[in-house]
Amino acid sequence: MPDNVLSSSTDAKTCLQRVNTLMASPAAKALLDPDSKKGSRRFKIMNVCGGHERSISMSGIRNALHPSIELIPGPGCPVCICPEEDIYQAIQLALNEDIILLAFGDMLRVPVNTSKKTIRTLQQAHAAGADIRAIASPLEARQIALQNPHRAVVFFVAGFETTTAPVAGLIAEFIPDNLSFLLAARLTWPAVAMLLESDIPGFDALIAPGHVATIMGGNEWQFAINQFQIPTAIAGFTPESLLTAFYSVLRQQLEQRLFLDNCYPQLVTQQGNISAQAQLKQTMNIVDANWRGIGIIPQSGFALKAAYDQHNARLLFDDYEQQARRHRGAMPAGCDCAKVVLGKLYPYECKLYGRTCKPDEPVGPCMVSDEGACRIWWVHGAPRNKTKA
Amino acid sequence: MSDSMRLKTHYISLAHGNGGRYMRELIEQLFAHYLANPLLNTQTDAVSLSLNGSDIAFTTDGFTVNPLEFPGGTIGSLAIHGTVNDLAVSGATPKYLSLNAFIEEGLAIEQLERIIKSMAEAAQQSGVAIVTGDTKVVPKGECAGVFFATSGIGIKEKNINLGLDQIHTGDQILVSGSVGDHGTAVMLAREQFGLKGSLQSDADSVYPLTKTLLELPGLRFMRDPTRGGLASVCYEISQAINQEVHLFEHKIPLHKQVESVCEILGYDPLYLACEGRVVAIVAQQNAQQALSQWRQLSTGKDAQIIGEIRKGSAHVVLETELGGERILQELEDDPLPRIC
Repeated sequence: MPDNVLSSSTDAKTCLQRVNTLMASPAAKALLDPDSKKGSRRFKIMNVCGGHERSISMSGIRNALHPSIELIPGPGCPVCICPEEDIYQAIQLALNEDIILLAFGDMLRVPVNTSKKTIRTLQQAHAAGADIRAIASPLEARQIALQNPHRAVVFFVAGFETTTAPVAGLIAEFIPDNLSFLLAARLTWPAVAMLLESDIPGFDALIAPGHVATIMGGNEWQFAINQFQIPTAIAGFTPESLLTAFYSVLRQQLEQRLFLDNCYPQLVTQQGNISAQAQLKQTMNIVDANWRGIGIIPQSGFALKAAYDQHNARLLFDDYEQQARRHRGAMPAGCDCAKVVLGKLYPYECKLYGRTCKPDEPVGPCMVSDEGACRIWWVHGAPRNKTKA
Repeated sequence: MSDSMRLKTHYISLAHGNGGRYMRELIEQLFAHYLANPLLNTQTDAVSLSLNGSDIAFTTDGFTVNPLEFPGGTIGSLAIHGTVNDLAVSGATPKYLSLNAFIEEGLAIEQLERIIKSMAEAAQQSGVAIVTGDTKVVPKGECAGVFFATSGIGIKEKNINLGLDQIHTGDQILVSGSVGDHGTAVMLAREQFGLKGSLQSDADSVYPLTKTLLELPGLRFMRDPTRGGLASVCYEISQAINQEVHLFEHKIPLHKQVESVCEILGYDPLYLACEGRVVAIVAQQNAQQALSQWRQLSTGKDAQIIGEIRKGSAHVVLETELGGERILQELEDDPLPRIC
């Protein structure tokens, strides 16, 4: 892999300065405004990780960057695209069966599309008496199952590769008989591939997610260069790493010298975490999967292998599987979360954003999760800065 | 509309206790609505009362924490420091405390003894005496080990006039030490996330910090940031004075460990609790003096001037190290660890 154009130890201010200097260069001007006319276009960089978007918002990079650079939050929030029918199933299971339902904290507040008089979130189901527990680490699932040997424990797993790999590790190592999984886990790259295959991807360069690449290997993102000729860099979660990646993709574009740049060399290798990948392979198949509001994306979901049927909550509680909900169960009426997830709209361009949809009473899932662009923008004060997007 | 419909939610949720918007609405729209009287001001830490020509400050506070013991303190020392600090930031010298203990059936006496011992030490160090009290035991499951409530009385010097209404444009904002230590230390002590560290809670009496500033002519307002953290205190100030609270990110003291834990879990340290810090608003010409007075104290050695009051709309604006800006909003729901 070619050397980084900026060392990862350079401080954020220097990184910012170099990006902005490069952006002000005649070459950049020619790229964005080939006819020297007014209203030149902007260089659009998409990130596909809620952690990246959070770091960008928290460090105020957006309004410190040259105005010709546009940073677009893309599909980076697993909670946001978790199918409504799966959340509905988890709620019904928790309400009607004598089980302990485990989920990651973010999932508890995501509403399903039922009437406001009904129980619409796992949090409400908990208040109504269901035994629902938020956990932070998959290891807690095993512990809770062992502590409650006479009860069925169902772990509702939504997440990307980073969350799914430890779950696979848990399964591969040892799972108690009473622990089963309602798996709604997804892979990140197929959604990006789907965008790039569409007529209007909506971005000029890609920032690949550092945590996902840590597990799956940097090589997984090589397709963006090889098949789609999109400048791509893998970034970590500090402003320095992100700015180094912005510098890299901009320079790749200007010099027409594309390569998959690794701006998170502290953790990311080309091959990734081989043993985590082996555990994923051992326990899960990769299947076509539904993304809420977006539809089926080929080969984008994880499903438990047949060897683990007795731990597959979808089979153990198949009465609760409601495929018919898939049609009713996209985003709520008027909610543009799906477009926000795909980077087609900025959060504030949704009619509901900040009006009927706020973090305390979220309508769409992007306002629920700390990885969701709407919540990130709202919490860090984007309403005030919306003209500077 | 029934009176209880004033609140948007139908049931109490944990968010009603987090120091953010839900809690403010609960207090304003239910408690203050029914209990209003000329002395009740929900925006102050302690009420000032005049009795026989002496000015006294009076306050009360309740304490629940899980776990009961954590690095740097226990629920017992917390129950002293919390009430002492509310009196101190209102400009008073804390004197006498009352104590209520709600104890859960099944709590080990040995643990309770450790907790009461740490309470006694904290009271002695803070120069206060617990002069009356009561205990109740509740059945198992009705409280988590032990809950405490303490009320306190302090003596106020004459001519001390601190308050949100004293704050002017150009005033400087000081914080006495690193923020988010208590919230992080308690989180680590829960061992829920499998994270370990040597971080200590900052739980302590802030009276030495407040006392040293009281003589300063430009002292406008003091507050100890507890639940909701530094950001919530700044938010409250911005709303009360209807001006911009402008903070400089690189000036805010932050422990490396707090930063790391927050990075892993996706929390914002500016919203995490402190239990032994003071935020002071001081006139520009006195700010350096205030800072050097604080830095002479062991609990104030890391003090910083972290921002200023600016003309502008009622927002808390954090100027980041990169020269960008972000807004610190009012705390909504309690933060949950993220997934990705």
